[in-house]
Amino acid sequence: MPSSLRIAGKDLKLRVRDRSVFVLGILAPLVLSYIFYLVFGPAATGQGLSLSYGMVDEDQSEISAAFTAVLEGAASEEVLDFTVFDSENAAVGALEDGEVDAYFVVPAGLEEAVFSNRGATIDVVGDVDSPTPTQIAASFAEQFSSGVSTSQTAIAATAALADTRVTPEFISSLSQDPAAASMSFALTDETARTKQLDAPTYFAAGMAVFFLFFTVQFGVNGLLEEERDGTLARLMAAPIPRASVISGKAILAFVLGVVSMLVLVVATTVLMEADWGTPLGVLLLVAAGVLSAVGIMGLVSSVAKTPEGAGNLGSIIAVLLGLLGGTFFPIAASGGILSWLTYLTPHAWFMRGLAELGSDASWTAALPAVGAIMAFAVVTGLISYVLLMRRLAR
Amino acid sequence: MKELSIGWVNIKRMIRERSNIFFVFIFPIALVLLIGVQFGGGFAPAVGVHAAEDDWLSDEIVDELEASESVDVQSYEDTDALVTAVERGTAQAGVLLPPNMGSTATDGEIVEIGLISRPDGTGDQLQSVVGAAVSDVMAPVGAAQFASAETGAVFDESLGVAREVSGQAEPITVDVRSVGEAIFPDTLGQFDLGASSQLVLFVFLTALAGSSALILTRQLGISKRMLSTPTPIRTIIVGESLGRFGTAIVQGLYIMVLTLIIFQVNWGDPIGAVLILVALSAVGAGAGMLVGATFSNDQQAAGIGVMVALGLAALGGAMFPLDLFSSTMQQVAHITPHAWALDGYAELVRRGGTAVDILPELGILTAYAAVLLGLAAWRLRVAITRP
Repeated sequence: MPSSLRIAGKDLKLRVRDRSVFVLGILAPLVLSYIFYLVFGPAATGQGLSLSYGMVDEDQSEISAAFTAVLEGAASEEVLDFTVFDSENAAVGALEDGEVDAYFVVPAGLEEAVFSNRGATIDVVGDVDSPTPTQIAASFAEQFSSGVSTSQTAIAATAALADTRVTPEFISSLSQDPAAASMSFALTDETARTKQLDAPTYFAAGMAVFFLFFTVQFGVNGLLEEERDGTLARLMAAPIPRASVISGKAILAFVLGVVSMLVLVVATTVLMEADWGTPLGVLLLVAAGVLSAVGIMGLVSSVAKTPEGAGNLGSIIAVLLGLLGGTFFPIAASGGILSWLTYLTPHAWFMRGLAELGSDASWTAALPAVGAIMAFAVVTGLISYVLLMRRLAR
Repeated sequence: MKELSIGWVNIKRMIRERSNIFFVFIFPIALVLLIGVQFGGGFAPAVGVHAAEDDWLSDEIVDELEASESVDVQSYEDTDALVTAVERGTAQAGVLLPPNMGSTATDGEIVEIGLISRPDGTGDQLQSVVGAAVSDVMAPVGAAQFASAETGAVFDESLGVAREVSGQAEPITVDVRSVGEAIFPDTLGQFDLGASSQLVLFVFLTALAGSSALILTRQLGISKRMLSTPTPIRTIIVGESLGRFGTAIVQGLYIMVLTLIIFQVNWGDPIGAVLILVALSAVGAGAGMLVGATFSNDQQAAGIGVMVALGLAALGGAMFPLDLFSSTMQQVAHITPHAWALDGYAELVRRGGTAVDILPELGILTAYAAVLLGLAAWRLRVAITRP
């Protein structure tokens, strides 16, 4: 058996007996991705956000009924919970009991004010502890108000063309519903055209690749531990090439990384219904991702003086790259320079590659991302190999 | 005074480790800044636009979007380039303007405008900005379609009239207010709630990460050597707790003061804010001590510490606003000390509460601290005195 495999095998035994690698490599990413999915999932999918609104209709007119219908429509699509209250007192009670986040008050005389071109005000009364749902409620009301303005313009324009005044009789003589005027356009969601990860896959992949760097470090750091414990000098005295010592550690790091990633892929697919995509493409991405982690963490080990120092520097690098690479929240979306910086991390390419794979794409879709990740792996791997060889020569 | 010496040594050890300087002092502030930029401002998010062909209506929509200060418009030559830009995040949302928009509108038909967004929360805000711009342009168009259908007038004539009469009527305005004495804040400062979430997250994270220092103290035999001197075991336990507690307070005050100076974060009543920090630091110290006393492998403890700290922070609302949690998740959230601390800060900031108003939250945090410190003291006593 080549000596590098022997060294890797020995280290593997050490790591398995120590059990820390299971905590960081499997348990932590699995638990965290599940919690993140539970907490952020509703926002990412737009479902299960708790929005609960009430309505106090003091106007009891066609316009106020139209507004109620808009909200009832949203409620029937399960976007929000909606209750109509008989009086504002009842609404205040529900707000104070936390049953609704906000309620609308359509004042008496609103329709009359609209017909006579006078302004009116819809009140949105919110719970101070629910600022976000209240803001959303306000945007519902504003959208409605802009629809009403459009209808007003339509009626006024029709009257001007017909050379008459706007009267209730004139409005009822119109053959179309004035509300139709605000339906001259439709915004259609074309997001399905883009290849992006769904929420469970995003959190599973993000946490897996984030913790991968910690897992790999267990392997790479073995060299510094041997140095500290004095066993490295003995290895060097043995008839083993220097390169075998380094490759032994790299092999172990690679094995730890690949095994933990594959366990996570399977576990999150079963437990969270994550959809990683075509197996061959995923395997290539995982292999490339692990290699880049070995290269980067190898670089950390080659510049650190002690295993503790390497551990600390490694955590900083892993956290920075993970954050910048968008494993916690998508950095790309913040725009500006950050959306470019993110592609200086293998993490971002890994996530990008998974998104390209999708569920039905061929494995070749992952190749550009695999190439980018391999570039990180080759550059950092070569530099750390040279540095470590020099260090061993001393 | 031995307790204080032990505590001080712990703080010194923490500060001497260079990587701690990063995680305790640089990282939290960088993250507050990053999140502030992400969810609130800094630069205007980029919206990509692809107009299939130049016609008057698509030009108007592009002009209207360009006039909006809250987005930065970039134009793309084809649909694929736009889709890729949104996927890569170089544009946060995309607007697809179909061919023949103007003639579609003239014919009285519905113009379909495609919107591409990223499913990560920022999309919704942009969608409403884009929607508002489009509906501003389309309002007279829709009115003209309506008028032409009613009167049989040519579309262009109707459009001219619609543009003339639009804006004659006073619009319906929307007023946002709250019940009772509290004033509904127009906009909470972009960093305000982000800062208290980060504070809660990091104070707890640092305290839990401190568990590995405690394990090292035991592994290196420092605890046993302390025990061989005329020092009661109680003193050692109190001293170690003071160390964790002190570290947490130092970090918390640092975050509070710096965010106050740099980002003008509103922390509300200062006494209340500091009291929450003190209680939370005690909870963190207790949790860190418990992990440090239970595990004997510092790497395992560090892994578990990070997992527990990040997991509780996510569950407790330190990463995502509690008010958007479903009611079941809200109940789950309040199992964590994080949610109670955040409730306390919300009371101070949103309702202008004082120390008296947050007594319930302080009481619950103190109870957490008492239970955790008690358990930790018991486990540590066992761990140090084990032969």
